[in-house]
Amino acid sequence: MQHRRDFFTNAFLALGGLSLPGFLPRLSAAQTAPLAGGATPMRFIFMHRGNGLFPKVCVPPTLGAAEQEKEKRNDAFEVDLDKHRLPAWMEPLEAHKKDLTIIQGLSGKMCTVGHHSWCSSLGVFKANERPSSIKWATVDFELARLFPSPMEHIELACFPTDGGNARGSLDGIAKGFSARGPQQPNYAFGSPKIAVDEIFKSVAADKTGQVQYQLQRKVLEFVAGHETELARRLAGIEQRKVGNYAGAIDDIRERNRKIDLMADTVRRHVPKLDSKYLAEKMTTLDRQMGHAEVLLASLISGLTNVVSFTVDELGHHYSGIPGIEGENVNMHDVGHGKVIGDIEAVEIRRRTELHHMKVMEKIASRLKSVPEGKGTMFDNTMIFYFPNSGETHHAQGTEFPFIVLSGSNSKLQLGSRYIRLPYWGKEGHKTLGNFYTTILNAYGNPIEHYGDPDVALDKFIRDQRGPIRRFLG
Amino acid sequence: MTSRLAIAALTLFWTAGSVALAEEASRPVELPPTVSGLLVRYCVDCHAAGNAEGDVNLQDMSTLAIGGQLDLLNRVQEQLFFQTMPPAEADQPSDEERSTSANWLRTELRRRGASKLDEKLRLPAYGNYVDHDKLFSGEITDAPFTPARRWLVSPQIFAQRASDVFGPPGFGRPASLYGVTNPFVLPDASGVRYYDDETLDGGALLVMLTNADWMSQKQVLGARIKNGELKVEDLPNQQDRWVPKNYSAAFDAIVLKKSAPTDAEITQAVRAQFAGVLQRTPDASELAKYAKLTRDAIAIGGNSEGLRQMLLAVLLESEFLYRLEFGAGAADQHGRRMLAPREGSYALSYALGDRGPDAKLLQAAEQGRLNTREDYRREVLRLLDDKTYFAAEIDPNMGGKVVRTVVSHPRINRFFREFFGYPMATRVFKDPERGLGIYQNPDRGTTGTPGFLVNEADRLVESILRQDKDVFATLLTTDRYIVYYDKAPEVGRQIIAEWKQIWGALKGTPWKTEPEKVIVDNKAALAGHKHFRLPEGPHQKREFLRHMWFFSDYFDKGVTPFTTISTAHGYYINHSPFYNLPPTPLPGRYGATETPNFKGLDDTRFWDYPVEQPFKIENRKGILTHPAWLTAHSLNTETDPVRRGRWIREKLLAGRVPDVPITVDAKVPEDHHKTLRERLEKVTSAQQCIKCHQYMNPLGLPFEQFDDFGRFRSQEALEHAENIVGKQNNLPVYETLPVNPRGALDSTGNAALDGEVKDAFDLIDRLAKSPRVRQSFIRHAFRFFMGRNEMLSDSRTLMDADKAYVQNGGSFKAVVVSLLTSDSFLYRK
Repeated sequence: MQHRRDFFTNAFLALGGLSLPGFLPRLSAAQTAPLAGGATPMRFIFMHRGNGLFPKVCVPPTLGAAEQEKEKRNDAFEVDLDKHRLPAWMEPLEAHKKDLTIIQGLSGKMCTVGHHSWCSSLGVFKANERPSSIKWATVDFELARLFPSPMEHIELACFPTDGGNARGSLDGIAKGFSARGPQQPNYAFGSPKIAVDEIFKSVAADKTGQVQYQLQRKVLEFVAGHETELARRLAGIEQRKVGNYAGAIDDIRERNRKIDLMADTVRRHVPKLDSKYLAEKMTTLDRQMGHAEVLLASLISGLTNVVSFTVDELGHHYSGIPGIEGENVNMHDVGHGKVIGDIEAVEIRRRTELHHMKVMEKIASRLKSVPEGKGTMFDNTMIFYFPNSGETHHAQGTEFPFIVLSGSNSKLQLGSRYIRLPYWGKEGHKTLGNFYTTILNAYGNPIEHYGDPDVALDKFIRDQRGPIRRFLG
Repeated sequence: MTSRLAIAALTLFWTAGSVALAEEASRPVELPPTVSGLLVRYCVDCHAAGNAEGDVNLQDMSTLAIGGQLDLLNRVQEQLFFQTMPPAEADQPSDEERSTSANWLRTELRRRGASKLDEKLRLPAYGNYVDHDKLFSGEITDAPFTPARRWLVSPQIFAQRASDVFGPPGFGRPASLYGVTNPFVLPDASGVRYYDDETLDGGALLVMLTNADWMSQKQVLGARIKNGELKVEDLPNQQDRWVPKNYSAAFDAIVLKKSAPTDAEITQAVRAQFAGVLQRTPDASELAKYAKLTRDAIAIGGNSEGLRQMLLAVLLESEFLYRLEFGAGAADQHGRRMLAPREGSYALSYALGDRGPDAKLLQAAEQGRLNTREDYRREVLRLLDDKTYFAAEIDPNMGGKVVRTVVSHPRINRFFREFFGYPMATRVFKDPERGLGIYQNPDRGTTGTPGFLVNEADRLVESILRQDKDVFATLLTTDRYIVYYDKAPEVGRQIIAEWKQIWGALKGTPWKTEPEKVIVDNKAALAGHKHFRLPEGPHQKREFLRHMWFFSDYFDKGVTPFTTISTAHGYYINHSPFYNLPPTPLPGRYGATETPNFKGLDDTRFWDYPVEQPFKIENRKGILTHPAWLTAHSLNTETDPVRRGRWIREKLLAGRVPDVPITVDAKVPEDHHKTLRERLEKVTSAQQCIKCHQYMNPLGLPFEQFDDFGRFRSQEALEHAENIVGKQNNLPVYETLPVNPRGALDSTGNAALDGEVKDAFDLIDRLAKSPRVRQSFIRHAFRFFMGRNEMLSDSRTLMDADKAYVQNGGSFKAVVVSLLTSDSFLYRK
């Protein structure tokens, strides 16, 4: 087991190289400062998937009659998970049950739902393919800014390749599902290989990678020198207009220098990917596992504290599904209930979701194996699994089920519970905005409310702002 | 009193201490007796040790380092300037005491380059702090100028500049660049949004790193393909297969060369990149620096990658993202320099559109024909007459959210968009059910209802600008609007004539029961029309029936339909009720007319569509009663009289409203049995609230005649479950209370116009007659075209623009010409 304490201090100050905003930090004052008192950062993993997640499949099968009746009526209630079995597809999480919370009843009607949702489910606004629709930084980026790291944020994706949200390639780098700020889409890595090449390029072993790295350093040095020289000749506001830019370039160079200093540590954590994760024709299931390896390496090496992971999307063609391994399954068809290879659509969903849980389990188990402070790295981690477009294929946004694994240092009081919150329109109903506000408030962002309001909800709940107080303890 | 003595002692300490320090900037501040006296008399009782309210301790100033002292004095300066201290209930300094101290503080802080107030006053929200009466008094004789500046490019200019790297429009240049993200965002707000006070920062750098990487890849892509380094089909992103057609031969030469390039080849490449990106030639030092970078990078990464690093570095120059306006040549007697011709050509071009200068303007600059005010006038008039060079969407940056409107000079129309702020309607989400179930929020693939409303407001503005007569007053008072209107009147007339002809010929036939036979028997009547064509094949009967039922809804009732049938593909125009006009049919009305279950239509009376537009609408008066403006200045579920009033105070009356104090939780209380006005007045009538709300409520409340969707009303629905009295069209009907639209107007500069107003129309009529309102328009136009707040020294420019407007019969074109040939535009200092 690799102990991480040795390189934590430096880990906050380093950075990759010149290239993609996906792993370039926002240069803010907050980011340049390490966490107060050298505190251990929290890590956040947002695993979201397309095509909806049926609320009914998230219900423990061992609920009593009264609870089942409440579930049927969408009435609020909660039970301890240790007294119940998990749904079969969640069984990989059995070993983590004490850290598991299933939250039902959060709505997101203020999001774009249906086939595609773009940045909606992470940003809580109506988004579409145009950057102009992005209203603000998505919640994962807000959290990344609370827990600064060299790369700030990393996004991985199993890209859609058709439908209304297609990317040009499964394996490339393309616009992702997170946003850095207003009108600023983030970029995601499509394949484990390209993610490793880019994230760990400061310690690249191959010559091309080394040359690229050297050239990028050179250009930054040149531009910084040029702009600094220009700024030196100016004064007052004009000086600031160029000086800030020159300063920002210098910040990147300084962080590059520091990331170079932690090269040994980073090198130790470069994921040694199995050849199946590097293959040109990789199955979706392998791609997901490969991404999990990159995600773990990025977190454990300290390069980032926040990872967003698009596990799949409606326009993604699934391969490797057990029982129909040879099929290239169009998830849109599955959404419409099509039988493929004699397997019902619901069962296809179940098999893919089971695999998602295996991925989640792998992440949790690995983090539990990395010592940190008096416990493990998992103690300082929250993993969220949820649908990015609501309760079903053609969702209305009334339900966004969340499956959450949280470590013991989590500031959210969730517990090992199945929690059904009041349904949309009922007193006490909560939205995605309330949930994200809760998380942000818990970790130090005092925002009054994160996200757009649900205007249709206004006639039932006049003030829908603020956190879910019971989760704040 | 102890603290007062302490302050007096403190002053002496500073004075004595100052002698010892050599560095001017670090010398302690010497407070003159006037200022220290004012602090002692009015401030230290609350702001001294042991009683330092708001953590402001004036007594301990002497213990502070110079930075702390300046910070404290900046705070004092702001309180004096904005008159927020001493508090209302405390003793107040006289105007003379206040202004003497404020002037000294400002001069002293400026001398040290530390006046934060000056920076604040550059912000758009503080424009009205320049005294309006003084500006238009004629007593200011200072020579106008704009401070020499770097002005960050707007999002629209950035898009053009980025595209220009790949050659002029056309020639295979895409409308937008796949891999380029605009690093700039303008604030979502009513009012002029693009100012010169923004600074390039780390956020823009991060976006530019990706942009520059993508652009430089594309710049060498063609050459690399030619060189056999890669193939289009091997590009990692097959959605991004564009290979620019315009790339420099100089880049080709280096990429295709099998050995290291010569110095001459590198120089050519650097020149080409400067021309494409910075649109100028590099000087000798730049050439040398970039040539060295290219050579070094080629030594590391080979010709293609090495060259690309140079391209990338030029793309990362801050100059790519700034407009430079420093002036050149000898300074005049006021210390001002005229814009260099090249700077002037860009300044002019960016004033009227988002593109750089056209060939003629560049030529004028190069040939010494952009050196005088007359030169500028000639070029401004020429460019205003040119209807094609700048022609573009009013704001391509909003593309997709708002129905696109192409105009000849987008910046001129954009001024009115920003001034009135009606595009903000697309940002206010509504509950569709409250909007008769037909209101549609903007979403993917649709601009929604507010998009149509914004488009119609754009068209109204454009029609008034085309007349160019009494523009401001007409914008405020016109009762003629443009609604729907998707075809020119001559086309609309033709369509209606054809439809009437068909209906007249066929209405007596058994078209409902035997449509196929009627179609066959009446081929002649159905054929030969320019705008009506029945499709052949399986959909013929369906289309025939849909049209006949559609005609039956209108022609026998003497009503004219909208010139597009509601079953047309992609049709979702149904917002006429938000103008209080009768509805138009929804697509579903005729959707099933050919099915056996179709039982006929109800007797709804639809809107009698005016083919000729603009047309008169009752109970409306100008843009401020346009549903787009009213929606833009509303909340999600109710109106917003405070915001509407503030808009009028600031935009039309050149007035000021203090910021909401941080201790105020600005919420209107719930009460399901009272109107919003009653609830608002109850909560804002308290002494500490009304001192600000008096500037807003009386101006905004008259607009309670309109609901938050912009519908005229005399009764306000009390929208709450306990007030439901019935249902109509499946939607709840609520109890109502009468609307009280009374208000009051002040500060128009004309006592005859000030006073109580009976409703919004009365208010608007008075505003339209006020010279101050006209001058306020001019002030905002100044800010829009200069990119900054006016200073007192701009008085002559503003008065000239106002005079040009009046003398030319209310021509906005005359205002534009006047502003763009003013000293404020031409001179830098």
